[in-house]
Amino acid sequence: MTTAAAAALPAGGFGCGKVKISNDFGGLNGFSSWSGAANHHHQPCRRLMISSSRASSPPSPPPPPTPPTDDEDEKEEVEGKVSVMKRLVDANPVGLGRRSRQIFDEAWRKFSELGQISRTTRTNDESILLIQEGGPMCEFAIPGAQNTTVLVIGATSRVGRIVVRKLMLRGYSVKALVRNADQQVVDMLPTSVKIVVGDVGDPATLRDAVEGCNKIIYCATARSSITVDLNRVDHQGVYNLSKAFQDYNNKLAQLRAGKSSKSKLLLAKFKSADSLNEWEVRKGTYFQDTVAAKYDGGMDAKFEFSESGDAVFSGYVFTRGGYVELSTKLSLPLGSTLDRYEGLVLSVGGNGRSYVLILEAGGDTTQSSLYFSRFSTKVGFCRVRVPFTSFRPVNPADPPLDPFLVHTLTIRFEPRRQRAAEGPVGTNQDLRSFKLKLEYIKALPTGQETDFILVSCTGSGIETSRREQVLRAKKAGEDSLRRSGLGYTIIRPGPLMEEPGGQRALIFDQGNRISQGISCADVADICVKALHDSTARNKSFDVCYEYVAEPGKELYELVAHLPDKANNYLTPALSALEKNT
Amino acid sequence: MASTSNTLLLLHSGLSHNQSPLLLRQISGTSLTFSPDRFLPPLSHPCRRTGVPVITCTAGTPVAANLAPGTPVRATSIMVIGATGTLGRQVVRRALDEGYDVRCLVRPRPAPADFLRDWGATVVNGDLTKPETIPATLVGVHTIIDCATGRPEEPIKTVDWEGKVALIQCAKAMGIQKYVFFSIHNCDKHPEVPLMEIKYCTEKYLQESGINHVVIRLCGFMQGLIGQYAVPILEEKSVWGTDAPTRIAYMDTQDIARLTFIAIRSENVNGKLLTFAGPRAWTTQEVITLCERLAGQDANVTTVPVSVLKFTRQLTRCFEWTNDVADRLAFSEILTSDTVFSVPMNETYELLGVDQKDILTLEKYLQDYFTNILKKLKDLKAQSKQSDFYI
Repeated sequence: MTTAAAAALPAGGFGCGKVKISNDFGGLNGFSSWSGAANHHHQPCRRLMISSSRASSPPSPPPPPTPPTDDEDEKEEVEGKVSVMKRLVDANPVGLGRRSRQIFDEAWRKFSELGQISRTTRTNDESILLIQEGGPMCEFAIPGAQNTTVLVIGATSRVGRIVVRKLMLRGYSVKALVRNADQQVVDMLPTSVKIVVGDVGDPATLRDAVEGCNKIIYCATARSSITVDLNRVDHQGVYNLSKAFQDYNNKLAQLRAGKSSKSKLLLAKFKSADSLNEWEVRKGTYFQDTVAAKYDGGMDAKFEFSESGDAVFSGYVFTRGGYVELSTKLSLPLGSTLDRYEGLVLSVGGNGRSYVLILEAGGDTTQSSLYFSRFSTKVGFCRVRVPFTSFRPVNPADPPLDPFLVHTLTIRFEPRRQRAAEGPVGTNQDLRSFKLKLEYIKALPTGQETDFILVSCTGSGIETSRREQVLRAKKAGEDSLRRSGLGYTIIRPGPLMEEPGGQRALIFDQGNRISQGISCADVADICVKALHDSTARNKSFDVCYEYVAEPGKELYELVAHLPDKANNYLTPALSALEKNT
Repeated sequence: MASTSNTLLLLHSGLSHNQSPLLLRQISGTSLTFSPDRFLPPLSHPCRRTGVPVITCTAGTPVAANLAPGTPVRATSIMVIGATGTLGRQVVRRALDEGYDVRCLVRPRPAPADFLRDWGATVVNGDLTKPETIPATLVGVHTIIDCATGRPEEPIKTVDWEGKVALIQCAKAMGIQKYVFFSIHNCDKHPEVPLMEIKYCTEKYLQESGINHVVIRLCGFMQGLIGQYAVPILEEKSVWGTDAPTRIAYMDTQDIARLTFIAIRSENVNGKLLTFAGPRAWTTQEVITLCERLAGQDANVTTVPVSVLKFTRQLTRCFEWTNDVADRLAFSEILTSDTVFSVPMNETYELLGVDQKDILTLEKYLQDYFTNILKKLKDLKAQSKQSDFYI
């Protein structure tokens, strides 16, 4: 070890000059590879840090790059040179002095450390400590934070400020959208935050802001209660931003030619007569009533490719309790399974009838079970989204639908529970006949995590005169986010308080039952936690401090969650809440 | 001394802490610059010292803070002194994560502490050894957390005593509402060690000053063991240890930071002296054995008898220019006795409402460290090595 270090020194100290010479001589090119060879023959020692205990030493040039030695002859030649060099260095008084100082210094440092107990910080400890802080030793670090860029809107707000700090501590890349990047604003943000100038009211500026972002946390709010202002920030702002973000995602999906995780999976496309071959039309009744069937008008249905280029499923069902259905076996492209998707989207032109979508799952090893979900159509073409979560088992004893096991898809028409569509007045509609044009059926990709976190408000704590206005704008913003198709989390905190977080238990609730305030830091913590929490996706909830009853007056025991970064309070709290509310 | 005390009293009652820094700077220029020998209580040198020094706070009797009108200081605004240190940085991180607005007093230097600013703290320049730089930095601060200790290479007295006295006086004069001071365990029992004596005197001084304060005595940091034992073992270098039977209850600085903030917020800790100790006390030999086991390789241990340390200390004390070294070696006095640097924590846990199982043990800490570092080393193995550069 000592020899290796001593031999390596000239390479660091004045190696540059020598390498140049050896290059001139051509034949001596072994010299430049010499330090590499030295490493090769001695056990390489593992360094965790560049120690710089001597503040006076000027920065030395790094050792020159070492071309690998090619063959054995050269290596031997090199070895000979090493020994020569070693002798030279040993004889060099400068080298000797340097070595002795190095050894003495190290020994003295260690020695004087022994006499200490609590004074452990040295300058060269810092790199070790920083390894810890950036690496997995860091208590804040979150797996996945490294590759996530979060765009924070309202980064200088009460909540946003803490959100940014928390994100930085956890190792996220943070972008902040500010309206003007003057010194005062820049000083408020950590130095590594990327600042983007823009305004949520101006869609053009948002395109740059969402570039390269994976997640958005929106904690901006209007500074006044003027309707224009409210509308611009709380409603249009959310709309513009979710649109910009969705556009960006779509652009990525296009770039990757449908292979992106954001792109939909095509299950069926009806563009030619051939595409109808896989489909089978069936008839049936819910109950076997031969007498009734005899007197009823019967039923019929057909699925055909019309001359105008549409696939039309049409027919009539006059039999009581009868139905007609269109069914196919799903053939998924290799490597894709439906569990990566969260629902189906159908582009259909109905005539206002409602249809039942039936999925058949399982079947190979277990009993195949049926799941159904009803969807209604409008007059004319429309796109219908049917989430897998909306499917209920036909047999109540069956487990909930597992999209992974789905193998058959059926569209059923039944005359029950049909409502007259809004058509031209006076036309007599027979609700027992139907005509359904089909364009395509696709599976919607799922996101495990939420994409857009919106900090809204519950409305408590706002002056009564203004509450209505504020809530209307916030509500409109929330709605536009829900409709955007992004994975969303809407947090409606009680009145914000400026105090440290993690002090009191929190209550998560849906429905206006919030009475208490909440600290900004806790709201920020929920935002950051929700980023990677699958239970937070597509949820809106109120949150506030636990109501602390006066001693002796407790009516019931509250189940609440004390926030701390160590415990994951969010998942159990949110898993009880409804999605898509 | 009396005149100074009057000035400060006046200064205190006349100032609200949210006044403009400019005004403060002017005042501090006239009244807060003082020479230590005139102003400071005499701090006896260990060898000359006989008994406990008499310390009186010269910053005046306690007066209700906030007499002047103005916007109240937010309780979330804190100032951390010594934020770049082992403990200080953990305190800063914890504070930021809990939603505090953190200001850090750091010395002006060419390479600024960028990591603090990167976490979202505000960095202000100031130097405890230059009292005139302090007041401006304290404007709008509610709580001071003092984790500062002089660097090993500088004389102990300037930062740890003179600087701290200036800081406490200033905090007092500006109506800082809480002062948290980190001290060393058993510092009252070892007046022969300069640093411990200073810490003890500062504790006393803080009490006399009448500021709302919490004193927290610490035993040892787990983070210090990494540089001292874990890294040398991994690098296959020699590890230096003593044969001293002293036991220290090392504690994770992250735990210390966590407990500190609980203590700051709880009202019934005010003015109290807390001691934070780890779950178990360890001797040097035990720590080395643990590291060896976890690293899976034997350490090359160089054991230095304590008597050698003591002798060196005596020797270095003979010369003026090695006095600092002597001060640093002073802990060898403690090492000879088989003192246990630990304290039962049950009462503290109860007071703060903390569960003992949430406190990290040294075994777990080192195990995590070695698991991670060995994994990382595997990845880095091919990387070039760099050694100390000496010219």
